[in-house]
Amino acid sequence: MKSLMTVMMTSISEVMETMFFLPVEFGEESKAINDRMKEYKPDMACQLKFSGDVSGKITLLIPESLLGEMAENFMGTPKEELTSEHISGTLMEILNMVCGNALGKAESKVPFELAIPEMIDESKIPGSLLFNIIQTPDSVMALNIGMD
Amino acid sequence: MSYSILIVDDSLPMRSVIKRTLKTAGYGSAQFHEAGNGKEALAIMKNEWIDIVITDYNMPVMNGMELIKAIKGDELLKDIPIVVISTESNDVKIKEFVDLGAAGYITKPFTPETIRDLLINILGEVDYSEELDDSDDDFDF
Repeated sequence: MKSLMTVMMTSISEVMETMFFLPVEFGEESKAINDRMKEYKPDMACQLKFSGDVSGKITLLIPESLLGEMAENFMGTPKEELTSEHISGTLMEILNMVCGNALGKAESKVPFELAIPEMIDESKIPGSLLFNIIQTPDSVMALNIGMD
Repeated sequence: MSYSILIVDDSLPMRSVIKRTLKTAGYGSAQFHEAGNGKEALAIMKNEWIDIVITDYNMPVMNGMELIKAIKGDELLKDIPIVVISTESNDVKIKEFVDLGAAGYITKPFTPETIRDLLINILGEVDYSEELDDSDDDFDF
């Protein structure tokens, strides 16, 4: 099976460019909450559990300001008309698309099953958890893959 | 010809994106119906004429696969074409959908061209003269 983080990076680029017209670059692994993303708070966080050859959960953090712009581009709806359901729904859909796309590329012997993405309280994520930083032109996102 | 299209997805943003993509792809004059899961979709199908169903797979209450089984098992609904739009890109899963009777499968992320080509293949060529939808446009004269 290919490295999950490698296929995840390819999928993030694909989803961001195809659906959000947003180029991304991948930075170093960092303590997202305490370090790089601090200036972009408040972050919104979403988690998706998966099972297959390996099982675990993927957590994605995106600053609310960036997510608002992404939802606007994604839905073609002016920012002032977007509701919190649109914003959180966009984050859940991003994670769903990225994970589905990546796990399909992972050459697993057993097809992966994805759960329904769930919004989580960002403040409850342990500060010690390492996240991969994804750089956009004006902001950052952060991704963690946790194995069971 | 104006089509009646049912979009089934638990994600409100994704339903909006699919609808916008279909309008861009030439189906601007279609009548759109929306459902958040398979159960809601079946309720709509009992009351409305639907030409094509576009459904997600991974949904709460009733997922896309259960929806296809229900439609194909219903004498009145079984001939309505169903397109699955899902993040699932695994060949085994796609084959399962096709074997159940799905008319087409699109993986997310998708482009408007992918949807347009598949729908033209299923429904026939779009008459662009009927597809001018200016309901979202504001013009100042």
